[in-house]
Amino acid sequence: MNAPPLLRMHHISKSFGAVQALIDVDFEVKHHEIVALVGDNAAGKSTLARVIAGVHQPDSGAMYLNGERVQFLRTSVAQARGIATVFQGLALAENLDVTANIFLGRELKENGLLAEEQMETLARGFLTRLNARIPSPRTPVAQLSAGQRQCVAIARTLVGEPQLIVLDEPTASLSVAQTAEVLTHIQSLRSLGLGVVLISHNLTDVRAVADRIVVLRHGRLNGSFSAPHDAYEQVIAAITGATTVHP
Amino acid sequence: MLSSGSQSALREANSARLLDAVRRFGGITQVELAETTGLSPATVSTIVKHLLAAGVVETRTTTRSGRRAQLVTLAHKSGLLVGVHVGMRALQIAISDLGFTLLGSQTLPLPSDHRLDTTLDRTALLAVELIEGLGSTTSEILGVGIGVPAPIDPRAGTVRDQGLMKGWADVPIAEVVSARLNAPVAVDNDCNLAALGEARFGAARGFKDVLYVHSSYGTGAGLIVGGDLHRGPRGTAGEIGHVLADPRGPICRCGSRGCLDTLVGAQALIDSLRISHGPLSLGDLLNLASSGDPGCRQVVADAGAAIGVAVANLAVALNPQIVIVGGELAETDDVFLDPIRGAVNRRVLISRDDALEVRRGELESFAAVQGALAFAADFTQVPGVR
Repeated sequence: MNAPPLLRMHHISKSFGAVQALIDVDFEVKHHEIVALVGDNAAGKSTLARVIAGVHQPDSGAMYLNGERVQFLRTSVAQARGIATVFQGLALAENLDVTANIFLGRELKENGLLAEEQMETLARGFLTRLNARIPSPRTPVAQLSAGQRQCVAIARTLVGEPQLIVLDEPTASLSVAQTAEVLTHIQSLRSLGLGVVLISHNLTDVRAVADRIVVLRHGRLNGSFSAPHDAYEQVIAAITGATTVHP
Repeated sequence: MLSSGSQSALREANSARLLDAVRRFGGITQVELAETTGLSPATVSTIVKHLLAAGVVETRTTTRSGRRAQLVTLAHKSGLLVGVHVGMRALQIAISDLGFTLLGSQTLPLPSDHRLDTTLDRTALLAVELIEGLGSTTSEILGVGIGVPAPIDPRAGTVRDQGLMKGWADVPIAEVVSARLNAPVAVDNDCNLAALGEARFGAARGFKDVLYVHSSYGTGAGLIVGGDLHRGPRGTAGEIGHVLADPRGPICRCGSRGCLDTLVGAQALIDSLRISHGPLSLGDLLNLASSGDPGCRQVVADAGAAIGVAVANLAVALNPQIVIVGGELAETDDVFLDPIRGAVNRRVLISRDDALEVRRGELESFAAVQGALAFAADFTQVPGVR
């Protein structure tokens, strides 16, 4: 297993004025791995996700994708390199149907016209791959439940053969049945061989699907845990600062 | 063949397509049915009317985005059964009617050493959500069967041993869930329920003496003797994960030395591949074994051999008609089953004449949850229609 990790972030720092959002953070995701990013509010989780997605550029540090040094100056560059992100707001267009949302901004065309049929077939395929319970790709998003919307947002990431998927709080404000579906989708992403970064506050959900749990505290790395082995208490101690890696 | 008789053939095909969608979604409105099947709303309406008259489906009035809609479900007026399997790493819930027709189901991944309060809370909420999805209420529940991965004291209905499920010991699980769902609840060991599932609906149908082996994160067995589940007064019957397999082995979660589970539990299997393969989940390991990875096949086969010894010993003592093997490890089929067959066939007493057959379960990972449905029907003594 000497292949370079899918994503390696090396000594990443990022400040916004006086706010040090990320301080010297090392972070790694392999293929076929779910890494959870946990921490208090303002611990730097979302900032790290945005750096990965190309929304923010780090002040210092380096990023490597499959061992190759990369710089994501724009989100489109990160997307082109196979990094797909689902932010908390989901950014779905309520008035459009499921297919239109999945291909939003990346519509397939045929002789200058929209290839509606092809997009619908592909959308059906993505939904099947995720075992989604959505009656039809023609359903307007406004009619879907919160869990189904999250699923559409995840399905959207599958357009353009991604390697790494970043999910920001995918189970926040979902019912248990919807959480069950979303967690199952996340497991299916892993079985497709993709790397997943899962940001969440819910330790139960995180420990259910993640392989590793990385704790951020005040912008610094405060421990990395094995999800199946290490106990709740250890992770919580690291989140709250009862244990620290740094002085 | 499309001939002049194709009109009725077409209606039948459309009707099958529609029923398929109803089964997949549990409850689905007529408008959604038209969208998902591609049939016209008028056709859907006609077919639903026919199925309604035949007693196959039921309709209820519901709302979708503020509009009135007709929710179509499979018929379940006579009441609902709820089957629950609390596994080591997943919670499965199934809702069925009295004929054991599956109306809805859901799987929720669970963390290792999941907490009793969170898990039981989620069990109740998930059951309620599934039932509401069928347009029903909890008042229609006739019984709830719950399987948990630890021996259950048959009288108290509790997990007795501290070590096997952290924090679950001595809690009246049935009472906790019953208070939430307002329905009768009973709890049993998950291997017992999986054995019951295979006996009623799967590979053990028609046999009275069955040794069912369940190999997942841990290994256990369910014993059916003379047509009934044998639990023992402490509920530990069939706990083959805790028979002695290595007198010098490490101490098990249960407190004994050298239990079979210390050799073949998921953690032991994964640990033996750490150097060669890096960290794997049990699912990864089994997928790799099924797709021919030599290291993973070796690990699964060795587990089969070790479990086979315990199974063979138990089979000599119990003299079952058949051995059924289920659980995730059985998904690798002969990689896992052949070493068990080998061990069983080396015991002369049970290999003479017509050798004891070792067969793979048919219900796969749904054996325990389906058994939980049968258990729910049994203990509430509702007249199950088969």
